[in-house]
Amino acid sequence: MSLMDTSSRDGLWLRSAVDHYERGLTLYASRLLGDPDRALDVVQETFCRLCRQRRQDIEDHMAQWLFAVCRNIALDVMRKESRMKPLTDTRIASEEAAGPSPSQAMEQRDRESQVLNAIASLPTRQQEIVRMKFQHGLSYRQISEVTKDSVSNVGYLLHHALKSLREQLNTDPARPVRS
Amino acid sequence: MMETNDMPYQPAEDPDLTAYALGELDAEQSKKVEAKLGDDARAREFVDQVRQTASVVASELKNEQAPGLTSQHHRVIESAMQRGDRTQRTLRRVRVICLALAAIILLAVSVGLFLPGLGAARYSASPAVPDASRFSYNSLGAPAPYGDALHEPTETVPSAVSPGNRNNLNSNAATNAERNSRLKDLGYVVEEHNNRVAGTPTDHVTMGDMTTLFDGEQLVGAPDPGAAFNTDTFDKIKDNSFKRATDHPLSTFSIDVDTASYAIIRRFLNRNHRAPPRGAVRIEEMINYFRYDYTQPAGDDPFSVNVEIAGCPWAFKHRLVRIGLRGRRVEQDVRPSANLVFLIDVSGSMRSPDKLDLLKRSMKLLVNELDGDDRIAIVVYASATGLAIPSTSMDRKQTVLHALDQLAAGGSTNGGAGIELAYKVAAEHFIEGGINRVILATDGDFNVGVTSQSKLVRMIETKRRSGVFLSVLGFGQGNLKDSTMEKLADKGNGNYAYIDSLDEGRKVLVEQMGGTLITIAKDVKIQVEFNPANVAAYRLIGYENRLLAKEDFNDDAKDAGEIGSGHTVTALYEVVPPGIEVPVAAVDELRYERPAKEKKPHRKSETAHGDELMTIKLRYKQPDAERSRLMRTHVSDPGTGYAQATSDFKFSAAVAAFGMILRDSPYRGTATYGAVAELAEEGIGEDKGGYRRQFVDLVLKARSVDNR
Repeated sequence: MSLMDTSSRDGLWLRSAVDHYERGLTLYASRLLGDPDRALDVVQETFCRLCRQRRQDIEDHMAQWLFAVCRNIALDVMRKESRMKPLTDTRIASEEAAGPSPSQAMEQRDRESQVLNAIASLPTRQQEIVRMKFQHGLSYRQISEVTKDSVSNVGYLLHHALKSLREQLNTDPARPVRS
Repeated sequence: MMETNDMPYQPAEDPDLTAYALGELDAEQSKKVEAKLGDDARAREFVDQVRQTASVVASELKNEQAPGLTSQHHRVIESAMQRGDRTQRTLRRVRVICLALAAIILLAVSVGLFLPGLGAARYSASPAVPDASRFSYNSLGAPAPYGDALHEPTETVPSAVSPGNRNNLNSNAATNAERNSRLKDLGYVVEEHNNRVAGTPTDHVTMGDMTTLFDGEQLVGAPDPGAAFNTDTFDKIKDNSFKRATDHPLSTFSIDVDTASYAIIRRFLNRNHRAPPRGAVRIEEMINYFRYDYTQPAGDDPFSVNVEIAGCPWAFKHRLVRIGLRGRRVEQDVRPSANLVFLIDVSGSMRSPDKLDLLKRSMKLLVNELDGDDRIAIVVYASATGLAIPSTSMDRKQTVLHALDQLAAGGSTNGGAGIELAYKVAAEHFIEGGINRVILATDGDFNVGVTSQSKLVRMIETKRRSGVFLSVLGFGQGNLKDSTMEKLADKGNGNYAYIDSLDEGRKVLVEQMGGTLITIAKDVKIQVEFNPANVAAYRLIGYENRLLAKEDFNDDAKDAGEIGSGHTVTALYEVVPPGIEVPVAAVDELRYERPAKEKKPHRKSETAHGDELMTIKLRYKQPDAERSRLMRTHVSDPGTGYAQATSDFKFSAAVAAFGMILRDSPYRGTATYGAVAELAEEGIGEDKGGYRRQFVDLVLKARSVDNR
């Protein structure tokens, strides 16, 4: 009987989308712009545009739609402000999960920053694609729809990115899980 | 991809291998790559390396904290949503019918935007809208009054992002256009909502849209209209309908002691400030979350049966029958030794304070309750599966506590392999006559290792026969595979709880440890036979996914629910007495039959047990038995009014009504949040632990965010 019925009904898909993609998009936009504040505005605008879409028009390609729109707005902002800053490797404050002993925690932090540093050393486009793939879980095809590269080009960039990362990290196969 | 002719094949130069390793190839391409892998060890090694690197990179990146939007940003999005909503409903028609008009209005609104004060003024000056239509429009979910909506963008859209302003104009134009055709539109929308019948072909698109948006039940398998984007997965639930006692005298179901649904609902309301998806609302789990003061079982019976009948609070002509079971309580100091294997998901998705950290803290509470005869092992699973702690006697608690501290999340999940290992460890340390149990703790995201749900369920079913029971503890949100987890626990002779706070962890793992860990009876089934002489129709509230065919009751091969030490299980039936009209939903099944009242009453019941309302039959097996035993109780209605009912009765009725509202059940009758809060308040009783008080608060919270 009230205004909030919207929330439980047709507004829900939008709300779910915001819940689900908010963090991913803010992270993505922050990396693109190198400025978290501006990134938040861009993400806000992305969601506002989403609100004007018909659900059935985009729900089967929601992720790439959001990332593509977010990217376009971000590029727009950068162009307008002529501040094409390269991606910075400022790490956004990370909460260390409580638990590991101090030495372990440090080890883990080291390894994390090692991975992040390695990513930061990649060419900009590769960084973006690596993040889309491994941070945001987009497929090659989805990435290609966001960046307008061909799928095989995405594959090529990612292949080389992973190769450089592997060389830098010299991955130790036993590491990923404590056992 | 392209090796040159003179050079030997270099796996490291082949992007197809990377794509294959990352699961990006289709079946045909994969086959080609697999052919290459078959005769090239280096290629295989390369694929492994890619996967390892990918998993390290993914788990580190997933750990990165994102800056969240501020509440200011959220407000702007919220108002865009509401404008968008209204836009959606009419924009399409408006676009076709009056494009030109829209353009003129666009101009008008843009003027309005630059003069925000005019927004409200123009609203009050706009043609009068009858109150009734505003009311019905609102009931369909219209947002705040238009004046506010017009104000919002000028105040809050940051000027830095200019495209936003332009586009906001568009949606306001639509809002305005809509305003012009609102009255006509209102009737139209109302009609669509109520009838869900397709009209003319041109309307069809809109209508399909509407039903999808409005009717959760249309979305089979995904009752939450937003479920496609939030990856929490909840199964669809359809309310049990009224059945006529003459046609269906038997009602059969399996008991269920799960409590997860209540905690999930609480999470939605308290954390997300919105009503939960309907599929997440399992009324029986909500009712069973609370303790009721049922009598201790007498003699050798593993549980007591308690029946109470009184007026139904949401349908005053109906009766409400509450059937309560209480499992015998096994005291902590006489309980058998425990052999527990924790199977812990340490995949990247578990890295969150409300997941792995909470689990670790909850587990420590449990470890502190165990003693020297008990054993704990911990198996972790992510990209790889490992035994974090071999089965360790509780003489050495510190070892376990320390190891718990060391657990950290990273990698992706392969639930299947973990379950294998956990059951293996449990079997190796099997305690005859003891508590042998695997406790799976996860957010349910079995995302790697081709573990389809049905495969997992089958695996669990085979494991069940080994005598090892399963508990499933759900954590976190955004990714919760509620339906998978409930099914796993169901098939694994176990229970499913959702842990959203340390308090809940304490409740599940410590306070109810007896119940959670010690099974008193298994495969407990209930069959109620209604006496058509005294019952026109009945409806089982909740237990929708626990219904059994009437033949299953006596079939010992049919799996059913377990009851643990001290557990209480409650089922409610809403009963329509003879002479009272049976609610419409029953009409369907009786379409080609004469109404019951024209039929002659069941002769046997009339003569033999005329005053009885029903007979309750229970079948159960001892935890280690294969053959079931039968218990039977005959029940008559003493005619108690609702006011005279016990506080437990009132409280359980309040919980059921709350569930029906959240589910928007057609059977909710006169129930409202306010009424539920009142009923619950009346039934609050002694309230050990303050859970009932918390429930009242939750109902009030629901009223403030949902207000149906």
